[in-house]
Amino acid sequence: MGTRRDFLKAGGLALTGLAVPVVAQAARPAEIQMLSSPRGEEVWFDPIGVRIQPGQTVRWIMASPGNPHTTTAYHPGNASHSLRIPEAAAPWDSGFLVKPGDTFEVTLTVEGVYDYFCLPHEAAGMVGRIVVGRPGGPGALPFDYFAGRPTTQAWVPVPEAARAAFPSVVAIVANGAVRRR
Amino acid sequence: MNRFVSVGLALAVLATVGCTSTMAQQMAPPSSNYKKVSTLVALPDFLPGLGTLYVDPATLPAGPFLAYDRQGNLVSSVYMIPVKDITAHKAFNDLAAAKEKVDHVDMYYNAGHPGVAEPHYHVVVWYVSPQQAATLK
Repeated sequence: MGTRRDFLKAGGLALTGLAVPVVAQAARPAEIQMLSSPRGEEVWFDPIGVRIQPGQTVRWIMASPGNPHTTTAYHPGNASHSLRIPEAAAPWDSGFLVKPGDTFEVTLTVEGVYDYFCLPHEAAGMVGRIVVGRPGGPGALPFDYFAGRPTTQAWVPVPEAARAAFPSVVAIVANGAVRRR
Repeated sequence: MNRFVSVGLALAVLATVGCTSTMAQQMAPPSSNYKKVSTLVALPDFLPGLGTLYVDPATLPAGPFLAYDRQGNLVSSVYMIPVKDITAHKAFNDLAAAKEKVDHVDMYYNAGHPGVAEPHYHVVVWYVSPQQAATLK
């Protein structure tokens, strides 16, 4: 998996794209907006669920002024959150994207379900789900699948509001993308 | 949220106005206990709809956060009350308050942000009119 954080505006990205050879068959990055209502009452990823192919890049775009967001994988390496990405995949944490137009990219090569959250907004249910190729792995299991295992006692469970917000894997596979209800 | 809790919170905040600590803060920056929020957490210097915030870290999460317009004038004091504390019936007594004439009070839910990364209520005690507040962009 590769990650790339940058703070280029869309125009800058376009210029960069002109300077770098592009593989003709490479799928375009799947773009996910990071959004908030003006006073921060509502926060969400749009789309909240996407399906991509192995090796495809996901690009998160900060799209709301004044309310920073992160994209952070559900992984014990990220503040002891429970594992909800494939075991063989590397976790990511964008850090705070603050200014509109800030972006963060991850290229996902391992097939399976990847769940992620926004660090300051997880408790409010700002989460997202990516299905890479065929669904599977911990992200496809119930939220409490690790309960009772001695090695996972320190894992932080997914909060209720976040559990309720995730789109189903079935809907993502069927539609390719799912927007917030 | 329960309407009675909302009203109670508003009254509690209003009751503190002018009755606790004195703060020399009409113009930014306020007294040395207060730090610019953007130097403490990953937030922009100027927040649309609120302004530039300062807080005494010892008072987190409730605050007050002192908000200034782009000219450095104090426009509001913001209290941030976690929803879980409201649900737990936690009291917030003797919160500091600016000795300013209050114009109006807004209360609204916020899903969280760096510094108060959990759902909470903003109780905004405004010293300017709603029209002036709307220019904080």
